[in-house]
Amino acid sequence: MFSFALKNIFFYKSRSITTFILTFVSTLFFIVYVAMMDGSHNSMLKNALKVYTGAIEIYKTGYRDIGGNEYFIENVDEIESKLSQIDGIKHFTSRYETYGILSTDRYSSAAMVTGINPLKEENMSQLKATLIEGEFLSETSKNCLYAGADLIKKIHLKVGDEVSFIGSASDNSFAADLFTLCGVFRTGSFEFDSSASFVSRSYFDELMYAQNKASYITIDVDDLEDVDSVRLSIKKQLSSELEVLTWKTLMKSMVEMMQVDSIFGYISMSLFFVVIFFVIMIFGFINVSSRVKEFGILRCIGLSRANVRALLLYEIFILSSLAIVLATPIGAAIAYYFSIHPIVIEGMSETYKEYGIVSDSVPLDFNIFTISWNVALIYSLNFLSVIYPISYINAFKPIEATRHV
Amino acid sequence: MIKIENVNKYFYKGEDRELHALKNINLSIEKGEYSIEKGEYSLLTGPSGCGKTTLLNVIGALDSFDSGKIYFEDRELGALSEDEKTTIRLNEIGFVFQAYNLVPVLNVEENIGFIMRLRGFPDSEIRERVKEVAAILEIDTKLRSLPSTLSGGQQQRVAVARAVAAKPKIILADEPTANLDSKNSKALMDMMRSLNVTENISIVFASHDKDVLESVDRVIKLNDGEIIES
Repeated sequence: MFSFALKNIFFYKSRSITTFILTFVSTLFFIVYVAMMDGSHNSMLKNALKVYTGAIEIYKTGYRDIGGNEYFIENVDEIESKLSQIDGIKHFTSRYETYGILSTDRYSSAAMVTGINPLKEENMSQLKATLIEGEFLSETSKNCLYAGADLIKKIHLKVGDEVSFIGSASDNSFAADLFTLCGVFRTGSFEFDSSASFVSRSYFDELMYAQNKASYITIDVDDLEDVDSVRLSIKKQLSSELEVLTWKTLMKSMVEMMQVDSIFGYISMSLFFVVIFFVIMIFGFINVSSRVKEFGILRCIGLSRANVRALLLYEIFILSSLAIVLATPIGAAIAYYFSIHPIVIEGMSETYKEYGIVSDSVPLDFNIFTISWNVALIYSLNFLSVIYPISYINAFKPIEATRHV
Repeated sequence: MIKIENVNKYFYKGEDRELHALKNINLSIEKGEYSIEKGEYSLLTGPSGCGKTTLLNVIGALDSFDSGKIYFEDRELGALSEDEKTTIRLNEIGFVFQAYNLVPVLNVEENIGFIMRLRGFPDSEIRERVKEVAAILEIDTKLRSLPSTLSGGQQQRVAVARAVAAKPKIILADEPTANLDSKNSKALMDMMRSLNVTENISIVFASHDKDVLESVDRVIKLNDGEIIES
């Protein structure tokens, strides 16, 4: 039956070529499309996590919902000591975040001023990497301010200029100082670049009476896939008044956006596959329709319905396999190539800047498991496409089929 | 081998009138009926539309009937499922059609060996048998040709070879000479007679061809779906 199916494939060329091309194109397109979709989501996630937000962050319960000086984490050293014992954690650092007013002689702006550990921050975030002017902070940079490009633009500040700060210290007293702008960064996220500024913690803690305190502790993990298990390990080690949140909660809007984007992506793909499915089925049906008499003869001389079913399934199996075997390595190679050499989509970072996207490049996601289920889906669709032609041809009585014109 | 008891098939059956395709067909000699014995060489004949092909199709488990019984050896065809009928057609009946009805994608050798292959004969036996039958039917030089490259006479011989190759108990041939000229008709009938004798295969024709009429042992005449002479 297999060799008979093979002969039919060569004999009925137009149907075979159409099925082959459609299967080839849909396999190739599907693999690349899904790799691109997953890649863009991974890229968004990595970018967003890399810029500033950690994969996991520890807060005192109430800080995120209510805020205020009562909700700072105390005994940071003890917590950091525990974190250093937990597997799966790559880096961590604490940040002391406050809000105040930055003023020059003529302009003022509300700003988020955060005390950071410059050395640890180099591993944790892209703050140093996004430096565009001046220099990044160091342990000894004292009253140096490292500010977003859009923030300094608002208050007309230049590197080397002085700027006054007024805020509230951790004991609710006024805190005021004169900072010098030492460096400017641009992450690409307008919201962040227009409000964030940083000071070295060693200096800032004294100003804010914030020794051994932190707004939160941010953590990077070895493998993002393990983020939930690492979160549980951390949670076990800490008191119940601290909450441990992963990026899925911290960047809920981005997760929702990615989910919506995936849904729309799969809807688009589904429509594409519905079209492909029906085109393959229609061509298969036309082919079978033109062979009704032939099938009638075969049934008359002893071919069973099961044989007919097997014959048509073999035909689609051979055609699908041929197309998939050729398309899959090509699709996989494209996905692999562009996972190493990302595609650059001009303006993407501008479009998605609210989610912390700082790069226009989208590396494709090369994932064997994803490619496997892509291929399995195409196979399934092709097999489904012959169900109706099979039932159509098997509905004929053999003698009626031989009279079919 | 085949017994037909009081078989009726209707084109139309209403309260006011009936239109028969086959009417009270009884074929068994001993009981006032008629049976087709193994090795027989018979002809169903009659004018166009008399029911020759319909009767042949009913005997060959290709078509249904409305009443009566047909026994293929000890099996009653009316009681069999479609799959069981397919098995009988595959293993015990050979068909030769008016329009040759060869499989266009298979060459002559593959067409002749097709039924044997479906029945699971070993390749070596199929090759040997195909050569043997092809030699008898004088198509052994065309084994690699596709049906579309053969003449009508050659195609009909391939169809006969296909029917004969798997050694069925009976061959049902519907108007096998209808598309052949007289020379090819005669040649085909000579070959079929030869197979009837050498292979001991019963052959029943449905035809109104004079060449066929002259060559058979028994003639069964039909008119308006009824046997009028057997």
